Amino acid sequence: MAAATKLLKKSLVGISQIQQYRNIAKSAISASNGHRNELFNQERRRQQDAVGRLEKIEVRYLGLPEDVTLVMNNNISTPFNCAQHLSEGHCKRSALALIDGSVPWDMHRPLQESCTLQLLNFNVSDPHLVNKAFWRTCSFMLGAALQRVFKQEANLQLHSFPGPNIKSGSFVHDIVLGVQNWEPTKAEMRAISAEMVKLAAQDLCIERLEVDLDLATEMFKDLRYKSEQIPSIAQQHQNRVTLYRLGDHIDISRGPMVASTRFLGKCTVLAAHKLANEGASDAFYRVQGVALPAGFALNHFAYGLLEQRAQKLNPARLPNEPFEEQRQMQLS
Amino acid sequence: MNQADVSKLMSQLRIAVRPTKRNLKNPDGPEGRLLKLRKTVTALVKHERIELYYNRADEARGYAELLISNAIRHGDRHKATMELADYWLLEKQLVHKLFKVLVPRYENSNVSYTRMFKAPRDYPGMYYRKSVLELRGNPYPVLTPDNSQNRNLLHNVLLDEARKEFRREKLANLANKLAAETENATASTTATPAQAPVTETQTEQSKQAEEAPKA
Repeated sequence: MAAATKLLKKSLVGISQIQQYRNIAKSAISASNGHRNELFNQERRRQQDAVGRLEKIEVRYLGLPEDVTLVMNNNISTPFNCAQHLSEGHCKRSALALIDGSVPWDMHRPLQESCTLQLLNFNVSDPHLVNKAFWRTCSFMLGAALQRVFKQEANLQLHSFPGPNIKSGSFVHDIVLGVQNWEPTKAEMRAISAEMVKLAAQDLCIERLEVDLDLATEMFKDLRYKSEQIPSIAQQHQNRVTLYRLGDHIDISRGPMVASTRFLGKCTVLAAHKLANEGASDAFYRVQGVALPAGFALNHFAYGLLEQRAQKLNPARLPNEPFEEQRQMQLS
Repeated sequence: MNQADVSKLMSQLRIAVRPTKRNLKNPDGPEGRLLKLRKTVTALVKHERIELYYNRADEARGYAELLISNAIRHGDRHKATMELADYWLLEKQLVHKLFKVLVPRYENSNVSYTRMFKAPRDYPGMYYRKSVLELRGNPYPVLTPDNSQNRNLLHNVLLDEARKEFRREKLANLANKLAAETENATASTTATPAQAPVTETQTEQSKQAEEAPKA
């Protein structure tokens, strides 16, 4: 018994040492990240304050248990708030909302006018919109997981992720690393997968915020690739940039995404393919994986086939191609 | 050495059984408890799907499995099995159902004869967990959602695309092989026959193959 407690304490000491080391290593990154989060919070508060006098809108909910009309607050109430009026099951299950029968809408994005509302989950008869949002969320989460997993010495910079294409068999995040000959081992891939699973277990809400060009440039001024991409994105969207936040990780994406990280079920990150050298010491890598929504049980043989396929290089547009083409990719 | 194989003496259950006993309480003592379980087993055989509290369902399930597997093993000419059926089935017409309906149904099955699902409980209400116990192959609609039919579900999209890619690769391999073979054939026809006696037979074969579709 005594030996066991000794061991445990020792290991606990080890863990705390590792954490201290990590904290020191990540302090520089977290400083710029903290600044970005602060700006994000400020801007969100500003937008909430700018709503001013409350206006009521009528939201016509279509679906089970029955069609109802809800009177909600303009620019404040979200589809999630509407689901709260229906039942706990609706809140838990709905991954995405559908406005006026055609526009996919994030669950946590305020509604802007009277509309009809449908709540989508992964089991509806035609779930391609939810699937697409899920695949995009997987790419986004992969970025967050990579950010958490790599040490500062690795010089990780997230580049971007191409638009979701489920038929390609894998979701993708393109990164730039400070090594040119990284050949990831199975254990390393498993560590990234584990981080994805941890994110899913934390049940983090995925927040959406639209900011203007100046603020976006200010937020991403430390990140070279993001600040390169922002002007062209803003140009195409009336000087607005859509940001998503998960925990303290902020990224640019067109959206929509699913409501929470909880919807990620089985997930494996499988491969990191080197795409090209970048500068003297850096290189582009394409990290890819495959995932299923929570609640979908697939036998391990079938899932193994999906994993095998996801290991092949995803044919989506490459990040090191000319900038004009890149702009299209950034629309994702 | 000379010990009997236990699995030949008694039927093996195909369900997971709780290692410790359940203290199901009853004001009438153990007999009362057994009577309750007998009622449950009878109801299961009669209705084929019942909804009840989890503990009682789980306890009764083992007895139902044992009854059916003994009936399959020994048939209706076995005194001990008949006594067992007589004990567990309170309504005697169900003894006929056991041997004439359930035994033929499960004769060749290699999975458990019953299924159990956790069921939602009413809120607010009794806090006991509820469950659904059913015989396999019952005539009612299935309880579990069928995720295999809707091809738009995410895993089905992924699987379909994987299958398509597999076929595409296979076809491409086949085409490459054929192209290589025809190349070999043309190369060997131009070459002198003394040089490559092996390829000669190949060319003959390929010639035959070429002629075959014409005929």
